[in-house]
Amino acid sequence: MIRLAIKSLMNRRASVLLTIIAIAVSVTLLLAVERIREQVQSHFANTVSGTDLIIGARTGQTQLLLSSVFHIGNMTNNMSWESFVDISDRPEVSWSIPISLGDSVQGLPVVATTNAYFEHFKYGSKQPLEFSKGRAFAADEEVVLGADAAEKLSKNIGDDIIVAHGSGGISFSEHDEHPLTVTGILQRTGTPVDKAVLVTLHSLEMIHSGEHEHSDHDHHNEAPAESISAALLGLKAKPLALRLQRQINTYDKEPLTALLPGMTLQQLWKTLRVFEQALTAISAMVVLIGLLGMLTIMLASLRERRREMAVLRAVGAGPGTIFGLLLSEALLLTVVGAFSGLLLLYGLQWSLAGVIQSQTGLIFSSSWPSNSEWWRIALVIAAGFVLSLIPAWRAYRQSLADGLTVKI
Amino acid sequence: MNAVNIEKLIFSWAGQQPTLDIPAWQIKQGETVLLRGPSGSGKSTLLSLLAGINTPQSGHLHLFDTAFSSLSGRQRDRYRADNIGYIFQQFNLLPYLSALDNALLACQFSKKRQQRIAKQGSSAENTAIEMLQRLGLSSEQIQQAAHTLSVGQQQRVAAARALLGAPKLLIADEPTSALDAEHRDTFIQLLLELSSQNNTTVIFVTHDAALSPYFDKHVELNELNQAGAKP
Repeated sequence: MIRLAIKSLMNRRASVLLTIIAIAVSVTLLLAVERIREQVQSHFANTVSGTDLIIGARTGQTQLLLSSVFHIGNMTNNMSWESFVDISDRPEVSWSIPISLGDSVQGLPVVATTNAYFEHFKYGSKQPLEFSKGRAFAADEEVVLGADAAEKLSKNIGDDIIVAHGSGGISFSEHDEHPLTVTGILQRTGTPVDKAVLVTLHSLEMIHSGEHEHSDHDHHNEAPAESISAALLGLKAKPLALRLQRQINTYDKEPLTALLPGMTLQQLWKTLRVFEQALTAISAMVVLIGLLGMLTIMLASLRERRREMAVLRAVGAGPGTIFGLLLSEALLLTVVGAFSGLLLLYGLQWSLAGVIQSQTGLIFSSSWPSNSEWWRIALVIAAGFVLSLIPAWRAYRQSLADGLTVKI
Repeated sequence: MNAVNIEKLIFSWAGQQPTLDIPAWQIKQGETVLLRGPSGSGKSTLLSLLAGINTPQSGHLHLFDTAFSSLSGRQRDRYRADNIGYIFQQFNLLPYLSALDNALLACQFSKKRQQRIAKQGSSAENTAIEMLQRLGLSSEQIQQAAHTLSVGQQQRVAAARALLGAPKLLIADEPTSALDAEHRDTFIQLLLELSSQNNTTVIFVTHDAALSPYFDKHVELNELNQAGAKP
């Protein structure tokens, strides 16, 4: 019977092919939505894998997280250097990275920090940053570039860079008097670090204050900056994070915000869940439309196929066999459609992997479909099965009524 | 033994006057019968009863030693697959199958037909090819898709399908109405020749009385059927 179904489908290959394409594309969409969601979440989680606590001036936790680690949005307030030192010196803090943000080079974010950044920042599965070329900055005139930043600016070790004030793509106040020299280029991490231009805190301070030359080199041992945007903290013991967070949130010298990156990300995903669900619902609708297309084509073909049914009845097929034939045709279409969709997904992923990575930093694993993806495919096939009961039932009734005498 | 034995058969479509009322009708095994009747005389209805698509409201319909009209729908489908060959007026074939696959279709639905062929020491496919060749199809035409064949060729493939696996009963519903006189005569001759080899009983429905010399018996449906006769 399957063989018969296949041959019958082959006979109507034009409409069958279109149906399969419609189902395949819709299934691809359904799976892609899920896959992108998962990738974005793990990408974000990977970026902050080593950091236990992030602190900054009083602001929303999400805003602090997005601007400090992902360089999305601006920080409106700064925290004072004194507070940073005070908190860093607490016994439970094992390391701290101060960062100052807000400037850009050709749209790439400038991250002012200290050498602690290269020492303590961890991404992915707690991997440290590594240099593909050169070394960390040792002086205020030196700059380290992320992998993408080096590519985009087409700079190499020893080249000069001019850092502008402001984070927009176009800068109104360029400071030609502060050329910095590239001393190191980081290996690709697949995180926002790739796009960063890393400078020392003091060098940023000089850009802002318009200081010339290194007139106050002596200050160096004091504070490298008056204030910073945020700080990433590593703790000696993770369980201390919650307590320290509470203490910082109620810090009495100035209003501060502390956040646990993992928790804040979870909250962020929670607020975005409605959006995700809407996307999933839309792609589910698209799948439904694909399946309804199949239903339409099958129902429309039933009238033309009354002769075929009568012939099958004549050679001994019962109405149940006719029912089964229609059911297996529809099921075949759905299954082939769903798996073509899966193949299409991998095809797209494979062919677009480079573009996606350079545009968004997302790296899609070409691993086997996850359980939830299999579930989605199974649901599509189940939906196709349920819908195919309609033409199968119609054919059943029709073949009972027609018997061997078809009057058209 | 009687191939067909009808007693006091009454059939009516839902909510209508009886279409068929046949007090008694017998066909002997191996007989070839021409059944003639004008349109609207209940021919199609009678054929659907003989093929087991419908069952009479009352009376008996026996095929050979089987109380056909008291079988379940599923059993009748099975019986039809195993024992009855059926040829339509036209459009007998599945257009997307080759002539050969069409001829083999009946065997696919019936193990018994396959067994009968196997008993003769041949495969279904070889027997089908042999039969199609005897019916005048070239070996190319045998492999061609059914819709590329002429009407006459299609009817011959239909005959091969109906007779493959030696069914006990062949029902042909005006199979020659789409053929011209010359093709019609050769078709009937071949059909009867192949049927007689397996002692298949033939019920040949037509409105053309001129064909009666080919058959053992000529039956007018109007004479059998009392449905319209009663006031």
